[in-house]
This record gives sequence, C-alpha cells and structure tokens, in this order.
Amino acid sequence: MNTITPKLETPKRHHTRRVPAKRRLHLRLVEGMAVISFDHPDKSANVIDAEFLNELETALRAVVRYGVKGLVFVSSKPSVFLAGADLESLGKLHGEALEAVVARGQAVFSRIASLGMPTIAAIHGACLGGGLELALACDRRIASDDPATKLGLPETQLGLLPAWGGSTRLPRLIGLPKALDLILNGIQVTAKHASKLGVVDEVVPKERLTERAIALLDKTVPKRKSFFLTNNPISAVVIRSLTKRQLLAKTRGNYPAPLAALEVVGHGSWVTGGNLGRSFSRERDAFVRLVETDAARNLLRLFFLQEKAKHYRHDPSLDPKTLPCIERTAVIGAGVMGAGIAQMTASRGVPVILADLDPGRVAAGMKSVSGLFAEAVKRRIFTTHEARRKFDLVTPSAERVPLHRCDLVIEAAIEDLEVKKKIFADLCARTAPGTILATNTSALSVTELAKAEGITHPERVIGLHFFNPVSRMKLVEIITTEFTTPEVVERALAFVRALGKTPVVVKDSPGFLVNRILMPYLIEAGRLAEAGVPVATIDEAMLDFGMPMGPLRLLDEIGLDVATHVADTMVTTFGERFAPPLLLADLVRAGHLGRKSGRGFYRHDDGKAAPDSFAKAPRDLPDKTQIATRLNQLMVEESKHCLAEGLVRDADTVDLAIILGTGYAPFRGGPLHGTSSSLNRL
Amino acid sequence: MKHDPDKTLVIIDGVRTPFLKMGTDFGAIDATEQGRVVVQTLLLRTGIDPGIVDELIFGCVSQPADAANLARVIALRAGLPEYVPAMTVHRNCASGLEALTVASDRLHAGRGEVFIVGGTENMSRIPLFFSLVAAAKFAALSRAKSAGGKAAAAFGFRPADFAPVVGLKLGLTDPVSGLNMGETAELLAREFDISREVQDEFALQSHLKAAAARDALAREIVPVYLPDSNAGFVDRENGIREGQTREALARLAPVFERNTGTVTAGNSSQISDGAVALLVMSEAKAESLGLAPLGRLVDFAWSGCDPKRMGLGPAFAIRDLHERIGLRPDDADLVEINEAFAAQVLAVMKLLKTEPFDGLALPEDRLNPQGGAIALGHPVGATGARLVLTALKQLRATGGKHALVSLCIGGGQGGAAWLETL
Repeated sequence: MNTITPKLETPKRHHTRRVPAKRRLHLRLVEGMAVISFDHPDKSANVIDAEFLNELETALRAVVRYGVKGLVFVSSKPSVFLAGADLESLGKLHGEALEAVVARGQAVFSRIASLGMPTIAAIHGACLGGGLELALACDRRIASDDPATKLGLPETQLGLLPAWGGSTRLPRLIGLPKALDLILNGIQVTAKHASKLGVVDEVVPKERLTERAIALLDKTVPKRKSFFLTNNPISAVVIRSLTKRQLLAKTRGNYPAPLAALEVVGHGSWVTGGNLGRSFSRERDAFVRLVETDAARNLLRLFFLQEKAKHYRHDPSLDPKTLPCIERTAVIGAGVMGAGIAQMTASRGVPVILADLDPGRVAAGMKSVSGLFAEAVKRRIFTTHEARRKFDLVTPSAERVPLHRCDLVIEAAIEDLEVKKKIFADLCARTAPGTILATNTSALSVTELAKAEGITHPERVIGLHFFNPVSRMKLVEIITTEFTTPEVVERALAFVRALGKTPVVVKDSPGFLVNRILMPYLIEAGRLAEAGVPVATIDEAMLDFGMPMGPLRLLDEIGLDVATHVADTMVTTFGERFAPPLLLADLVRAGHLGRKSGRGFYRHDDGKAAPDSFAKAPRDLPDKTQIATRLNQLMVEESKHCLAEGLVRDADTVDLAIILGTGYAPFRGGPLHGTSSSLNRL
Repeated sequence: MKHDPDKTLVIIDGVRTPFLKMGTDFGAIDATEQGRVVVQTLLLRTGIDPGIVDELIFGCVSQPADAANLARVIALRAGLPEYVPAMTVHRNCASGLEALTVASDRLHAGRGEVFIVGGTENMSRIPLFFSLVAAAKFAALSRAKSAGGKAAAAFGFRPADFAPVVGLKLGLTDPVSGLNMGETAELLAREFDISREVQDEFALQSHLKAAAARDALAREIVPVYLPDSNAGFVDRENGIREGQTREALARLAPVFERNTGTVTAGNSSQISDGAVALLVMSEAKAESLGLAPLGRLVDFAWSGCDPKRMGLGPAFAIRDLHERIGLRPDDADLVEINEAFAAQVLAVMKLLKTEPFDGLALPEDRLNPQGGAIALGHPVGATGARLVLTALKQLRATGGKHALVSLCIGGGQGGAAWLETL
C-alpha cells in the first residue's frame, strides 16, 4: 500500500575508478579517502577465500600508492558485511595449503593494521568470523542499528578458533573476560550490544554509515582503554584456570576447540605489542591442529547439513514462490507445546490464534507465552518494545471462532486419537479447503487422522512435530501420509524455515524418526537400571559420550507414563525391542512418573535431581564405556531400520535429525555417520 | 427518515471487557490495552478481513499520556492494516456513543462503509499532576548545569510543591459551572425533591437487576487475559453487589454535600475501567458480506443544557430525537439511560412527565432491565457504546423491536439514539 522505497546509498562527489565487474571487491576514491567495498559477484554473501585475500592485498597496495588520507571498508550487499571464511572452498584444503591460507589472512589483516593511515570498518549486516577479524584490524569500527547487523566470532561452534588475528586483537580491544565470553560461546551480538562491549565505537543509521565513516577518518582515533587488570600474565592464568574448569565440566573433554581458544586468547591478551607475531603463530598452530580433529570435521559437516536442509526442495519441479505463504495461523491447545509453538510463530511476525477449551486453559497458555517473551528480552533477542508488538500477534480464544482465514492450523491438544479425530473433523468444517491442518502428535498415527470421518481434503493433514522446548530445539519433523501432496510439503517446509527451524520430512510411522530411534536406547537404559547398574553411572556414561542429558534423566523429563505408553504402541508395530522394562511399569504404578510427579529415576526437589537407587545384588555390571557403546549401538541399529524402511531420504537426514532433535553428540556426527558418503568429501 | 440501505448504519456485533472498579485488576493494564483486546476479539469473532475496515473511531476521555490518539494505537496493535485511519473522540460521558454517531455521519458523507467503533477508559490510571509552580521548578532543576546550580534549584522546592493535584477530581469537575458531577446531582435532588430513600431504592434495584442478569451480561463480555496476574484472566464484573440491601446503602455518608446531602457512593455510578467495541457498517454492505446484524441505528440527537444541571441532558436529547423521528420513549420495547447518579435518572423521569415534555415520559417498567452504571460501573469513554450493545443484545433475546438509549453528559449535554432490529 503506502510504502517508501529506501534510497540506495549514493556517494557524494567522487571519481570512480571502477575495476572489471567480476571482482570480489571494488576500490574507489571519495573526497580524498579510499573506500573498499565488498561485493561477491556470484553469492548473496561476501565471504573470504584465497581470491578475496589476493584482491584485498592488491587493493591495499593501490591505496598506499594513491597516497590517500584514510581507508573505509564497506559492503555493497544488502544484509551482509563479510560473513567469514568461505567454508566450502577452504573446507577442501588440508595441511600446508590450509596453513598457507591462514598465514595469508593474518598477513593481509596485519597489513591493514599497519597501513600508516586511519582505517575504519563501516559495518552493516552480518560481520562474522573472518569478517569481524578484518574489522578488528582497522583502527575503528562503526555499525548500523539495523536488525540485519550481527557481529561475532563463532569459529568455536565449528570446532575451530579465530585464527586471522581475532584471538589476539579482540581481548586487547575489549578485555580478556568479555573476549572469552564472545569467542568461547560463539555468540552473535547486535550493533548496540557490540557498542556496549566496545567491539564497535559507534552505532549509526545504515543510510549514514559511509558518510560518517569518511567523516571519522579526519578525527583522531580515541585512546583505547587499557585492560591491564585482566590482560596480564597473572590474571590470564587465573581466568584461564577458572574457565578451563567450567569448560571441562561442560564439554567433558569432547570438544578441544574451546580449550585451545582459551589458551590462545589468554596469551594474546597480554603479549606485548611488538610480539603480536608470536600470538598469531599460536593462533595458526592451534587452528591447523583443530581442523584435523573429528570434532571439527563433524561440526563442519553438521553446518553443511543444516545449510542443505535450508534449501531442500521436496519437489524440485515446484517453484515455491508460486505457492501461497502461511500468513495467518492458529494453534489448538494452549499447553506447554501449544504455547511454545504460538510464541515461536508470533516471534517471527506471523499472527496466531491460541485456542483452548476454556479461559483458564487459555490464560495458562498466555502466561507461558508472556514468560517466553520475557526470557527472550532477557537474552537480548528482542527489546521490550519489540516483544510487546510480537505478543500482540497472539489472539487468545476460548470460544469456537471462524478459522476460514487461517492458512495453517496446528493442533497441540492431548494425545488421544479420538479427541484429535473430533478436533480435526471440526477444523475441516471451519477452515478453507486449502488450509493445512497439522498435528503436533509425537506418538499417534497421522494417517489415521487423515482417514478419519469428517475429514475433507486429507492431502492437507500432516504432522508438524516440534520438540520441547520449542524455543530452543531447532528440529521440526514434517510427517507425510500417502495422501500428502508436494504443494503441502513445500508450504510446510517454507513455514518451518520461516520460524528459523530446520525441517526434516519423515513418512508417517510410529514415533516418526527421532522418538523411534530414541526409544530402544531409553528402554535399554531402563533395563540396565533394573539390572542394578546405578542410575548415575548410566547417565554419566552417556554424558561422557556427549549427550546433553542422560537417558534416565530424559525419561524423567518425558514422563515415565508417556514413555511407557509410546513404547507399548511401538511394540505392536515393531516388535519386542520396544518392550519397556518391568521397572518402568513398577514406577508408574507407584505413581512415580518422573519430574512432573517429583520422583522417577531421580528425586526432584527444588529443581535438583538426586538419582534413586534400584540396586539389587549387582554382579558383572558393565562399565561406563561399555554402557555407552551398548546404548549408542541401539540408536545406530534403529537408525538403520528407519533408513531401510525409507522413512527419510538419506543417512545424512537421519544424522541431522537426531543431532538437532536430541542433542546427540554433535562432535560425533550422528548415529549413521561413517556410513554416509558425504563424510569423505570433508 | 427514508430507509436507504447504503446510508443506514447497522451494528453487526459487539464485545466488551468486564467493567471493573478502579484500582482493581485493570490497574495493571491501560485504556489502550483494553481497547486492543476488544477490537482484536471482535475481529476474531466476526472473522472479517480487517482490511475492509474504513476507519476505527474510539471514544476516550482520559487518554493515556503515552498514546496520543489512542484509537490509532489500538487499530495498529489489534492488527488493522496501516492504511486504515483512526480517530479518538471525546464527548465526556457519551464518547462511546459519539464514536457510533460519527461513523453514521461518515457513512452519510460517503466517507466509508465499514467501521469499528467503541470506547475505552481506564480511570485507575488517571494521573496525578504536579502544580504549575512545581513543574516550573522541575524545569529549572533540569536546566541547571553545575553542581552548585542544581543544589540551588533543589533548595527552591517547598513541601506544598509535592502535593499532587488529583487528575480524576479535575476531570469530574465542570470548569464553567464550577460544580463537580456529584454536586450537579445534589442540585437536581434538591430541585426535584428526590429523597435519599428513593435514590437508595433505585440503586438497590440496579444491583438486583444486574445480579439477576449475570448470564445475559456474560454474553456481552469477553475474557481479558492478564498474564502477570495470579488468576490469569478476568471475565466477570466486580462492581455488582449480589447481596446489596437498603440498610447497607443507608449506612453510607453523602459525599458531595456534607450534612444535608443525599448522593452517596452507593447511589452513584462507580468509577471504573473497561472497553467496548462494535463492528458497524452500511446495511447494504452487511447484506453483501452475508452478515446478519443485531440491529440498525435509526437516528440520534445531541443537545446542550445547563452545565449546573447536566443530569437532565437525556430529557432534552430525547425531545430533540422525537422531533426528528416522531418516536417516543413509550414506543420503545426497552430504554437504557445511563445511571450517572440515581438522583439524576430520577430527575429525568420527573422532568419528562412535565408539560414541556408532554408524551415523552419514560416507561419505568422497561428502564434498564439489566441494571446500570450504579451496579456495573461507568468507565466514561466506554459507557455510550455499552448501552448500545446491551440494548441490541436484549432486543435479540426478548424479540423486541425498538430501543432508546440516552446519556447525560458532564458540561451540560445529552445524547440519545434510537435502535431497531431488522
């Protein structure tokens, strides 16, 4: 309707020395200053590869030759400054070739730092990894206050560390503790937050970015704060040992990258200005060592699998742009999952009706939603104002209202097939034929629902299985039946991606993919406890293995009654390997259902959980490694069954789903890792 | 008036929040939020595409300071597209009715076909003000630059500067006559010889009728969800006293006239928070959308009268309306007069029996059958719309055809509207 097209940035008086179009960056002169703008010709994001470094080096030489008074770095892309290293091309390098690129990047960025004229990075959009390292080599950084602007050094999340000078320059700029927080957690911050931390000097509206950068070149660089209290050898040792303890507890020795980063960043914080080269060498050595670790290989693979899932097309002959978007939604059921799904949807700007049977239930749901938004504000995902506007998108309803304008309805009511059948029949009567009707069921048959009485247009009945908690778990299983059309799948894929989640398409089958694979693992864990293996030992074994939570603790979270019920349904279809141990039935009978009843495998008091003991006369009990191997093997076996049954497209999908849906040790690559051919590429 | 479906305004549906006494649950939210809830729920219930709304018009007397033109804020936050304009209207106690009549004028002027109208008021949140003297001293303090200057400015304050002026009191006092609303009611009680007992009896009936009508009232109300409260939601009025008695009313002291007064908190309307929203459109548009209206707005009248006797406003408005459409209160199946004060409604009833208002007497057996503002509360910006909503819902329930709605207005005005079912 009434929109204004933003004016594109036009530099004022300048004479352009444009170089041939295929370049990754362009150099021009503006009012006596040099401006280098990044603009990758073939990609939507600017990334750093060997060619980029070549061009940058050439450009820097030219800049010195022209005798300009200062240098600005900007990007011509609408929402990326410089997104980091090009993982695809650099991921193919090994050994000396890789080391050379690392050294090259360090050298070129150091050249920027020693250019002999004021330099400034004018950042709009994603400025991550190597991109931020380039900016750190400049005298100053300013950033736009646009939501697209994000700054961070996420290398540790890929099992690596910043090795283009970032591990050295960041702690010297903002102090060791804040630098460690950013690097070890790989967090990405907004411009405002970055300014508070000292990573950038000023926050500027994006339309004014370049002109402000040029104006700042004339002003003297502000004296940088000295962090001698934290950036000295003694403090570094203290901070390192404290942090190391925390890291080891968290990673259980499975992830070498944060530990290596801790060493390098700690040292880099205090090494004298003339000896920066020593720190850069350590960065390089650590990087080259880390790249060869399984953890790095598998984390990188996971990254690529997620990227693949972002672009997966269920039916390549369909152009997703021709399919109607999901613009209005409704969630039936205001329980934990319903509220979580509604909040997630609203947080992405999609209006959602949150419906339940009576105002009391709806009120509880709205409280959950409100709490989730408050948490998001606390975690700096939104400002209070933004959260309020997004909360407005949730319309509560305790009455039967028209839903014909909804594009998607997600049912998250109780796990009772008859109740769901009734709900879906009612939904069919209230919605348009094109409305997708999805169930969040984790155990019931979506096909049964699609076939039920009163269902019209069964091709629109699918499963959208979210995981708990919705705000944190990235995976959504899209469950298809024999009736589902490709259009419905593509629309569902687009919706899940719009939520920022990773979709995986799974054929309807009890437990779908993730819960199906988890079940035998959980059941066996229960059997071990029954046999007398201490609860803590079993869970510790899997924590050491790399799971985020032990299996018995997980059972307590799911609810022993729920787990038993799910297992029983699966026995009918798949056989005895899903038969729950008698211990589970005993516990359920005694009313110990897990966390919700205060007691299960653990006693839950005030959020603390103390393992219960079921020890009989233990003999010949397996040790932790044996336990872990045995339990993991069950997941592997079940994964193979799923693959053989054609539930999903390929082994990669299984790995991705299990890691995202259960937190399965990402550094291991997934249960089918090793059987997939894509692994060998990396 | 000739009936032209393109120019006749019909009311499709309406919803309202429960009306709550000031200082209770709605103290946690504001008038804007109340308005957003009713508009959003109305859109949800009717299932219309918000894009077809031509304008949103809402009444509000004490607009929150942080929401200038709160109708616009409500419209955007309730999900109306940016291109739908919005306006806030203010005719004191009848602002909620003013919103409806403005929509009717718009329709007649060819400036729109579909409107969302209503009113909202949160009297809990009417601010306390600093006196002008104190405000000047604060300004001086913030202008002072040096520590010495700031200290000097701070020393300029006196204890009296911190005594706030109660905004609510200011709002309920008419600046022309110098009387507050209660004092105008006392004047009418004296001049029309309306005793304390008669007023208390009227008040009692209001509570009893409202208590008996809980189910019917529930059909007008939508729950308001308050995530930060313990209960999580409110869906029930809290002003109605189920067990109200004459004795309890008799124990209350008069508020506006010390020793000889008759108007008490018990026989006055309650100071309350609440909001109402109505979906209205031309009759032709309703037909083309396949929507069945609750009723149509036949006509309305606004009149002025003596500010000292503002409570008589309805009499003049009803007379003016009669002059326009020839219908009398007795022709109505139902009459809703806002109960600003028992004394005020009773005075209107007496006046309408006198000669200058020949034939316009109110049918007392059909007056406020479900109680009124004495029991339900009077959030000033919203009440006008509530009377329209309740009148139409009652007509539907009883199968009646005509309803007369009228209010007195602080400052000396009256408003009246005639509704009929289709």
